[in-house]
Amino acid sequence: MRQIPHGTSLRTGEAWAIAFTYFTVAITVSLVHSTAGTPTWVIIAATLLVNSATATLAYAAVTAAGGSVVAGIAGGWLTSTRFGVLAAALAPRLWPQRWKRSLAAFSAFDPNIALANREEEDENVRRVYVAMSLWLVLPWWLGASIGAVLGDLVSDPKALGMDAMFPALFIAIIRPQLITQRARLIAFSGAAIALGLVEILPGGLPFLVAALPALLALRGSESENS
Amino acid sequence: MLTWGVVAVLAVGVYGQRALGMALINPARISHRSRQVLAMVPLSILCAVTALQTFSTQGALVLDARVAGIAAAAALTWKRTPMFVVVIVAATVTAAIRLI
Repeated sequence: MRQIPHGTSLRTGEAWAIAFTYFTVAITVSLVHSTAGTPTWVIIAATLLVNSATATLAYAAVTAAGGSVVAGIAGGWLTSTRFGVLAAALAPRLWPQRWKRSLAAFSAFDPNIALANREEEDENVRRVYVAMSLWLVLPWWLGASIGAVLGDLVSDPKALGMDAMFPALFIAIIRPQLITQRARLIAFSGAAIALGLVEILPGGLPFLVAALPALLALRGSESENS
Repeated sequence: MLTWGVVAVLAVGVYGQRALGMALINPARISHRSRQVLAMVPLSILCAVTALQTFSTQGALVLDARVAGIAAAAALTWKRTPMFVVVIVAATVTAAIRLI
């Protein structure tokens, strides 16, 4: 098996699988934004500047479900808290210079951090992080631009079933996280709370109230441990 | 619908959180408990978003063709089908039911 960069444990096959996934998902995400009425150039700018599918998708989902712009932004910010946590976990193994880590922060995603963290030598952690960030971000930007241009050509998104793509994509993203009993409990309670509140609370609020099971579950687990 | 203003605000907020974790905070000072809470919050929110996008439109509960498409997608996801296939199947099943 070839290794890229040489001497690290990152395999060419892994890099291609991630590149392909991000490329295809980026096309889908742009189509979803396009059907929500976002102009082509704004989609491309959002891809390059926000550099997170879940943040822009959460915003679009909250506002499409009747939430306000402020609630949509809060939803987008909240879904990207994990990048900060992942970045903090990898930071001690990256460059000591703060400006280098500030640049690296822009492409803090899940798979590149996970693969970089697998290396034993700190030098290889940096090489894999840089290589994997490029393997991920470039296909991501390319796919998103293609999707944004194609979106203009789609005339009736609902007839093509495109309103089902959002939730399907999210289920595929959530699935690998549902490995523990606690994660499943938090996930399904969050969904149930949102559905229970959607007709009662003004748009956007059900999403934020749905974050409560995560906090309560951890409170419960802390009292178990102590 | 995204606008230029929303893109700017989202970009600042998302990069801010990444930079906070990567460059500003001393990683040794984040407690284990804070990490656990932060790791679980996105899961709750994503599930809430998924549920509302499946069963509601504009703040009202609705059952329509997309529920079948999303159920098919969920079944495929559990069989570890690639993400792109899952999304395409969701759209195809939904479109087919609307066509009938």
